[in-house]
Amino acid sequence: MTIGSFIFKNALRNKRRATLSILSVAVSLFLLVALQVALREITLPPEDIGAALRVAVRNKLSLANPLPARQLPIIERIPGVEAVSPFSWFGGKYKNEENMTFAQFAMDAKKLRRIFGEAKMTEAEYRDFEETKDSCIIGKITAEKYKLRIGDRITLESTIYPCALTFRIAGIYSGTIDDRNMLFHQEYLDEGCDTQGSVGMWWLRVKSIEDMPKVTEAINRAFANSSAEVRAESERAFQLSFISMMGNVKVFVASISSVVVFTLVLVSASTMSMAVRERLRELAILKAIGFRRRELFTLILAESFGLAMAGALLGIGGAYSLFTYGNIPKMTHGIFVVFEVTPKIMAVAGLVAAGLGVIASIAPSVSVARMSVVNGLKTLD
Amino acid sequence: MSEFSLMLDENGAIVSIRKLSKIYEQGDTPIAALNRISLDIKAGEFLTLMGPSGSGKSTLLHIIAGIDRPSEGECRVQGVDVARLNESQLADWRNQNVGFVFQTFNLIPVLTAFENVELPLLLTQLARAERRRQVDTALELVGLSDRARHLPRQLSGGQEQRVAIARALVTDPAIVVADEPTGNLDSHSAHDVLTVLQSLSREAGKTVIMVTHDPKAAAFGSRTIHLEKGELLNGSP
Repeated sequence: MTIGSFIFKNALRNKRRATLSILSVAVSLFLLVALQVALREITLPPEDIGAALRVAVRNKLSLANPLPARQLPIIERIPGVEAVSPFSWFGGKYKNEENMTFAQFAMDAKKLRRIFGEAKMTEAEYRDFEETKDSCIIGKITAEKYKLRIGDRITLESTIYPCALTFRIAGIYSGTIDDRNMLFHQEYLDEGCDTQGSVGMWWLRVKSIEDMPKVTEAINRAFANSSAEVRAESERAFQLSFISMMGNVKVFVASISSVVVFTLVLVSASTMSMAVRERLRELAILKAIGFRRRELFTLILAESFGLAMAGALLGIGGAYSLFTYGNIPKMTHGIFVVFEVTPKIMAVAGLVAAGLGVIASIAPSVSVARMSVVNGLKTLD
Repeated sequence: MSEFSLMLDENGAIVSIRKLSKIYEQGDTPIAALNRISLDIKAGEFLTLMGPSGSGKSTLLHIIAGIDRPSEGECRVQGVDVARLNESQLADWRNQNVGFVFQTFNLIPVLTAFENVELPLLLTQLARAERRRQVDTALELVGLSDRARHLPRQLSGGQEQRVAIARALVTDPAIVVADEPTGNLDSHSAHDVLTVLQSLSREAGKTVIMVTHDPKAAAFGSRTIHLEKGELLNGSP
């Protein structure tokens, strides 16, 4: 026998409790990893070069306020601007679904490739979309979800405008950060619904990264003191501000994560205290036969650490397997797409488990260290 | 050679107790469990301590074994004033010099008889093969070689207590302390256990100190002393 096998046998002496303890750690760490992965995906900044060159222009008052279409030629003339497209939220409901399940935006189809070049489609699909006014393109995830194919016609009833529009699917794209959206012609929206010469916002591409600050400043200045002042910002800044509009998601997720970890500490500490309290007489015997405080502390710490790490292996490993090999878009009904468990997230969860194992062992170790052999033996009689 | 080598005083006493007192505080009231006791125990002796409950016999045994400290006086075991050792030194000293046998056996339920006996040796630097040899010898001495792979729940009470004796012996201590070792056993098993303890004293030269309520058990010892209200009735230094 070794000290290691002694610790192992002790840890598994109450198999039900050990199993429940490991499962509680595993489930909590699974939840922690899921929360961190979700937070990362929500706040994930666009990393492609196209994103670094894109500028979002919205009404300074709020995203819900439209912008006049007459701003287009003014923006196009600003030096450094390569291409500009309107981008109008349609808010359409598909079939009889109660809620909108994918976003639809009206834009200038001819500018799609220049501004959002990462969308992968065949040349024929691009051309069909650019040339046909009532056409649309949809992301691969949405197409798969609703079993839609090129050539199908779909009708969406807008929750923004008092109209319904029917579209013909010209292409199915993939390769963007979010392959769920539907894009169609602003011109078709203007004609079919009463947009009153307004658009939702503008997206544009600048010629170089160096042009970015000059262009955003020039756009903001161009419409200052007008009836529709704008706020132009890089795509990354826009996404972060968009997230902040939904509330402080980071603080919210961090709060839930903290509660998860705190609860886990309480559960683990309670489990270890119970395990040690049941064994006080044995620990007193170990002390009597020569085990010192530090050796008893090592036994308790190793047991606590081992249970926590077994839970971590199960929880983090389970999360990694599910999120890596599972069909996340399908499982989350398209809410999450990438859901990548990064090494950093796994390391953080592993550190939480390690810390948990140490913290949970402190209270029982202190009580055992303070316990005299005689008092421990008195628990026998 | 161990750090605490066998040392006897001029009378050949392995345990030398002088004016030993132990006072517990019960609320504001001091209770004297032992009152200025003086006692010598010779090497190889099988001493039995008798007395009514609360007479201080277990307290005396605990102080000799180094798991409790006196309030006053001196308790020298093999020349070492046990009360002067710190916690860590005491732990080492107990591991090398004292074997414990308790009324309730106190074997670790998830370990086999072999592993229970091996437990004190995990604290030593002995190689695995040497540990195995010593455990086999200890189990053979108590007649349980054929039960080495059994868990405590697979053993009878008498067998469990004999495993506990083997655990007490495995480090080859000079002193074996036994606190009512037959209290939970039937008469047949008690006889077996007492015979083993007696042979430890007579044949292996161990000093055995046993607390008991039972005069029949005390008869196995080479000397019996009685305690009452913390004082010796017929002991002599």
